[in-house]
Amino acid sequence: MTELVSRFIAIPDLLAASPILAIGLTLTAFFVGNWLFARIGKPLWMPPVLLSAVILSAVIAVLSIDYVRYQEGALWITVLLGPATVALGIPLYQQIHHIRALWLPIVVTLPLAATMAAVYAVVIAWALGATPEVLASLAPKSVTAPIAIGITEQLGGSVALMMGGLLITGVVATLFVDLLAKWLPVEDERILGFALGLNGHAIGTARAFEISHTAGAFSSLGMGLTGVFTALILPLVFRL
Amino acid sequence: MPMLRGFLILVLFFLLGEALRVLFLLPVSGGVLGMILMTLSLMLRGRVSDDLATASQALISVLVLLIMPGVVGVFFLASQFSGQWLAVAAALLLGTFLSVLTTLLVMKGVLRLSAQRRSND
Repeated sequence: MTELVSRFIAIPDLLAASPILAIGLTLTAFFVGNWLFARIGKPLWMPPVLLSAVILSAVIAVLSIDYVRYQEGALWITVLLGPATVALGIPLYQQIHHIRALWLPIVVTLPLAATMAAVYAVVIAWALGATPEVLASLAPKSVTAPIAIGITEQLGGSVALMMGGLLITGVVATLFVDLLAKWLPVEDERILGFALGLNGHAIGTARAFEISHTAGAFSSLGMGLTGVFTALILPLVFRL
Repeated sequence: MPMLRGFLILVLFFLLGEALRVLFLLPVSGGVLGMILMTLSLMLRGRVSDDLATASQALISVLVLLIMPGVVGVFFLASQFSGQWLAVAAALLLGTFLSVLTTLLVMKGVLRLSAQRRSND
């Protein structure tokens, strides 16, 4: 009987030898997280990706699966980020007619604001004594996750820290856009959408689609252009 | 089958991006290069094929699933960065506040200027 119990306890460790356990756990947490997100009323401060990741981390910790081993198995999932990043080119192409309609404000705002989003964060963290690895992890904080992962790897930052920063940035960017829209005031939905996508990536874009379809379209455009622009500029700047 | 055909196109663009990165020692990831090539080729072609639309929608709809393993790392590797939390928190909160403010002011200003110029013409 005790032998059976000890074999039972060893199950997670034995199954973790194959990537299929990591895939199964990640998929389960994904569906449970989405279900829970809908149940608690889709709050803006708790994006589904964070909810699912908390559940997944708890399961990994409880089953005492080795974290490095989990990541090896999860490579079967994360390797799809490459083609998924390429897939972002399709909605970007579909939004490109908005550039023709408003090309001057976009061409002026995008390089300036996307650069400053990285510069503000890096300068503040540097002034408070952050290490180069932390600076490299914070620089792409306004870029959509699949692109930001590529940037952080190129810069030599920590993907884990970057993902944490990315989530917080998305949530607070959404709050700040709502707040500053009232203070300044800004009522133009195109500006609000563009600011949400540029600063708050996918989390900001989710909020923009709640404002209106126009705001959502401009947010997608802002997110896509910021991703491309930052991915091209940041590695060049960091080399210097 | 349409989904797999579209997926193959995405994979080929990604591999092309990776090949260019390695060939020219570019600091940009292969995925981003593939995305730019994809957008350019669609602009030349003028339309999105059904295969490509099906595959890209399928992948984009599960993006959350694809980035989850990266987010999990926050909880397991966070202790590496203890002692730098103030710098990280200040950079994220104050930095994001300033960048949102910059975006709104610049875009509002340029829109107003271009509207004025149009009314003067």
